[in-house]
Amino acid sequence: MAEPETEARRLASDARDRVRFEEEVLDLSDQVYRVARRLVPTREEAEDLVQETYARAFRSWRSYTPGTNLRAWLMRILTNLNIDRGRREQRTPDTRPMEEGDYFLYNRLEETSGTNDEERIAERLSQDSIVDALSNVPHDFRDAIVLVDIGDFSYQDAAQILDIPIGTVMSRLHRGRRILKRELAETAVGEES
Amino acid sequence: MTGFDTICEKCEELLQPYLDRDLDDSERREAESHLEGCGYCQRRYHFETSLRRIVRSACSEEMSPELKAKLASLRTPLS
Repeated sequence: MAEPETEARRLASDARDRVRFEEEVLDLSDQVYRVARRLVPTREEAEDLVQETYARAFRSWRSYTPGTNLRAWLMRILTNLNIDRGRREQRTPDTRPMEEGDYFLYNRLEETSGTNDEERIAERLSQDSIVDALSNVPHDFRDAIVLVDIGDFSYQDAAQILDIPIGTVMSRLHRGRRILKRELAETAVGEES
Repeated sequence: MTGFDTICEKCEELLQPYLDRDLDDSERREAESHLEGCGYCQRRYHFETSLRRIVRSACSEEMSPELKAKLASLRTPLS
C-alpha cells in the first residue's frame, strides 16, 4: 500500500493533469462549435451537441492520450454523439443531387458576367445563400466538407473522426464540393439565365 | 468581355488535388509549372481559392458567451 504522502502527491499530480486537460479542451471550444454548427440544422441542436460533447470529454478525460490530436479526439466524440442521438437527417435516398464538373460554377459565372474576381462572387452570393447551399449537400458529403474546409482537419483526421477510409474522405470531399458549387450556381446564376 | 478559354484538360485533373495539397512532389511540380503557363488554369485556381475562403467565412458562426460559460461550468469541481 502506498505511503500516505506518496498517495497525496499522486492525487495532486492527477488533479493538475485534469485541470490542464480541461483548460486545453475549453480553449478549443470555438473551433468545436464552428464545426458542430454546420453538422446539424439548428443553432439549438449545435449548442446541445457541444454541451454533451464537453460533458462526456470531461468525464472520460483519462481515455485521451496526451500528445495526440485533442481537437480530433473531441470531434470524434461529437460525431459519435450526433449519430447516437439520431440527429442526422434520414439517409438520403438513392437520388443524389446532380453533380457537375469542378469548374461548373466558374464557367457559369463567366458565361453570365464575363468576369470572375472575388468581389463579383461575394456580391452574388449572400452569406445566407452559402449556408443554405451547404445545408443542401447530403450529409455524408457535407460532413467531409465541414471537417476539412471549415474545421481545417487533415484527410487523415477526418477519416479517423468519421471512421471511414481516407480514400472515401477524398472522394466525398470531391463530390461534395461539386454538389456545393452546383447549388451555389443555382443561387448566383439561376435567376439570370 | 473576353473570349472564352479553350478547355484545358490538365485543369480538372491536377488543380483540385493541388489545392488540397494532395499531390506528391513530382506531381506538385508538374502542377506548378503548368499553372505558370496556363491562363485558363490560373483563373480557375484563383477562383477556387477565393471561393473556399468565402464559403469558410460565410459558414463560420461564433458561439454565444452563454454557451461558453456553460461549458466552463461543466468542469469537474476542485475538491
